[in-house]
Amino acid sequence: MSEALGRVVATERKPNTPHEFHFWTAIDSPVGIGTIVRVDGAQPIDGQIPHIYGIIVEGFSYTDLQSPMHDVLGHDGLPTSAGFASTERAEIRLYTAAVLRQVPEEPLQPVPMGQVFLAEEEDVQVALRMDSYLKEGAATGIPVGVYRAGGTDAVIYLDADFLLGPEAAHLNITGVSGLATKTSAVEWLLSSLFTHFPEGKGSIAAVCFNVKGPDLCYLDKPGRIEDTDKTLYEKLGVDPKPFESVQYFAPYTAKGLSLNTFRNNEALLDNVVPLTWGLREVLQFAEVLLNKDDVDAKADALIDFITQNVIDKEFSDPLLSKKHKVQSFADLEAWFRDVLQGMEKKDGESWRTHHVATIRKVRNRLSNISTRCAGLVTDSGAVSDLPFGSFADRTVYVVDVANLEEDAQDLIFARIVSKLREHLERRDLGVKHLVVFVDELNKYAPGDGADTYVRKMLLDIAERGRYLGLVLFSAQQFRSQVHRRVVGNSGTALFGRMDPDELSTPGYTVLSPATKTKLATLEKGQLMIRHPHFTQPIFVRFPRPSVMQGREGAERYPQASEVPLDIAVFRSLRPLDPGITLPWVQDLTALYTEDEIIRARNATLLARPENVKAYFTAQFRKVIPAQPAARPMATTIKSAPENDPYGF
Amino acid sequence: MLVSNSGPDATSRAVLRLLVEKLPGLSPIEGGGGSEPPISSDPPILRAAQIVEGSALRAIKVPGLSREMASGFGAFLDGTQKVQVIGHIDGLPIVVGTISSAVRVRVNKRLVTWGHQPPRVERALYLPLRYLTALSAEGLGAITAAQWRLVDTSTADRNGEYPSQHPAVLLERAVRAVDQQREELEDRLAEAWCALGESPLFIDGGISRTPAVAASTCAVGVIKSHRTLYVEGDSLKVVMGLRRGERSSVFRVSPRSRSAVLSWYLRQRSPEGHDALWGLVRVEVAECDRPAERADEISRWVLAETSPLALPDGRWDKMSYGIRDCEEFLRAIS
Repeated sequence: MSEALGRVVATERKPNTPHEFHFWTAIDSPVGIGTIVRVDGAQPIDGQIPHIYGIIVEGFSYTDLQSPMHDVLGHDGLPTSAGFASTERAEIRLYTAAVLRQVPEEPLQPVPMGQVFLAEEEDVQVALRMDSYLKEGAATGIPVGVYRAGGTDAVIYLDADFLLGPEAAHLNITGVSGLATKTSAVEWLLSSLFTHFPEGKGSIAAVCFNVKGPDLCYLDKPGRIEDTDKTLYEKLGVDPKPFESVQYFAPYTAKGLSLNTFRNNEALLDNVVPLTWGLREVLQFAEVLLNKDDVDAKADALIDFITQNVIDKEFSDPLLSKKHKVQSFADLEAWFRDVLQGMEKKDGESWRTHHVATIRKVRNRLSNISTRCAGLVTDSGAVSDLPFGSFADRTVYVVDVANLEEDAQDLIFARIVSKLREHLERRDLGVKHLVVFVDELNKYAPGDGADTYVRKMLLDIAERGRYLGLVLFSAQQFRSQVHRRVVGNSGTALFGRMDPDELSTPGYTVLSPATKTKLATLEKGQLMIRHPHFTQPIFVRFPRPSVMQGREGAERYPQASEVPLDIAVFRSLRPLDPGITLPWVQDLTALYTEDEIIRARNATLLARPENVKAYFTAQFRKVIPAQPAARPMATTIKSAPENDPYGF
Repeated sequence: MLVSNSGPDATSRAVLRLLVEKLPGLSPIEGGGGSEPPISSDPPILRAAQIVEGSALRAIKVPGLSREMASGFGAFLDGTQKVQVIGHIDGLPIVVGTISSAVRVRVNKRLVTWGHQPPRVERALYLPLRYLTALSAEGLGAITAAQWRLVDTSTADRNGEYPSQHPAVLLERAVRAVDQQREELEDRLAEAWCALGESPLFIDGGISRTPAVAASTCAVGVIKSHRTLYVEGDSLKVVMGLRRGERSSVFRVSPRSRSAVLSWYLRQRSPEGHDALWGLVRVEVAECDRPAERADEISRWVLAETSPLALPDGRWDKMSYGIRDCEEFLRAIS
């Protein structure tokens, strides 16, 4: 057993309680804010020596000096002379610790006097109640980091039942930007989760929304890690390697030539799938894009009518000039035009109870969607989507929406999460548990502002997702600005270095001033953790993620610039068939319009056929090569009599 | 030496319970005790001393004074005593005396308890047995069986006279007995230190009580109280007129029944605006061949010990921080 490093003290002014105690240590004692200690009581209770585990939350230091003036007088007002004093004043290091656990737990008494020891690895497990889920038969521990203090290195585990449900769920990360906290922590935690998630609990996958920068764009590429990180990986039982299975999804740019992602470098396109939706997919979530002013009850009724009776159906009406089968935005536009022309001809103000003004308004708003979400929404109706129903175990699906307009981001988020939820409800997603990672939560689920569709969805996941296996990993810079029900439902919370202004908000009043100071000065790779089993926040270190960091990836694989159509097609098809050459693409596409070429490329990328050349060629309409016209046999021209110019 | 007086603490209450049982009629005193703080009642006197540095006592500026000067002291010794009147029977005081002493060694500028001889804390019960007729032999046996040392404050003096039953007389006798035992405790620690001869020891008080300490080059006594001033006539003016950083000539102190030691006065702090004894200490060292050089060296050490200040102790003008540390330490353990 190690030597005692301190002694519990209590005075009338500073008494110990069942939840807090005080102790002093030697001046050079290796303890500090966040250190876990164990107190061995002196007197047995019910025949058992009590052990109290606590974490240091505050520290005090003082000397026997009664007034600062005494020190000034003692050194004649010269600070430099203080160093010559033969003796240094008696000094104390007094710490306050918050109780993590008392053993035995009953009767719950104030912390007794006793010796204080640095907690060893076994003590840490008991103190944080990790022993309940690390024992044989439970084994639901997910390593989140290493607690390190005074020579003790102890792995801190989260309980999978409380991280991914069903007991509790969700994880929220807060920290200032630019210090490799939020994204790095999630990358590391997903690695740990994929490694340690118990086989018996079923399959697991993750959908990550990349909402800014290139941070999540190189998860399948190895990153640089240092020896200290390797030691941590070894201790935490995780291989320092990138994710084995990652799929990227990104819409096209507005022009539709290349994918709108940082990962559109030709060398990385093999696992990047276009994300394109047609009219049907979008119309289900029209609410996301149309605000309350747009969609009143009348407009809502018309959209409902269109969804029920027009989309994908043979639609005819005496008013219309022809039968319509609406499958794309282009078809819808033609349908609207026909309806409005019909009404004008009849000089009617309403059609099937819908007023002409409502029809015009809905036409305007819906047609506008394809413009606002260009690149994502296709006029043609072609759909390229996440593999709902065939999600693979231990796979990360990254949806890159970083370069999109806010509307498009909202639409993507709403539709994908809804689809995930539908499939999880039906138990046919392909995996049993799914982690959804969303950054910038204070933008998507703000505490104040309009009650948007996206915020409602996030609230729904936070409150009910754990029953479905849908778990939200969320991150933001300012937790105080996120809706309380979202962060409140996060069973686990991670905190990186915090902004002092944020720490002064009411949500952090439970933390001691010293803990706040530590939070405001945390190094890279350090986190404070709150978890249902831990009665107090714990500080841990986690290794640098073993994936390529965004900045490095962006330098090594520069984003492809907009290129001419033939080169764009060549670049997107070559990963499917390395035999494809640029001249071949140029020859094949020379006679077709831009829309036709893009449609053919998108269809090929969606189908990913074995014979790419043949499939791509088959997408074009037949064009009969031009033949030189045969010269007709010329008949003999009768010569006119010289004196008869009219030939009679 | 720290002297304090207070009501019964937990240990005293234990013996009080025993006494209440064995001494019918005892009236316990709760709270802050029932007597004035016991201080020495020796009258202030002037006493002549033999000058060994020059022919007349004079003020000498201690050479080599600077902020950077280092102290040669390696440890500090002091003792404390606590007198508690825990009860009385018909006015006869029942006293518990607690004495303690410790050597605090300086290691890397910080003071720690000397490991060779642990600090000592002793308690005793001071009773006027002659007048406590109600206390039976069985009662006495029970007290000693409870590991309490008994000191009779009603024994006859050298002239064979017994003290009167006046409560103040008996209390003064008890205080003197506690005082004496505290000195003996300090002497034992000082002798142990000097026997090892590790480094110079700063002793709070005189060194002449025991021959071994009085003759040791390790022991330096620093006396803060001046009930006896070893000067007469013009010498008094010299001592009272000492300025900061000045010492008197070295003289020899030869008290009766004690060992002769060399001594001198040293002004630690400027007396301007204060009384004449402000910052004045008397230093005692063993006899030596070059008393002037020794006095200069030791004076520099003593002056170096004036920082940090011993505040908030009221005697901070004369007290070194090391002695204050000893007292605080003893206060904590006794």
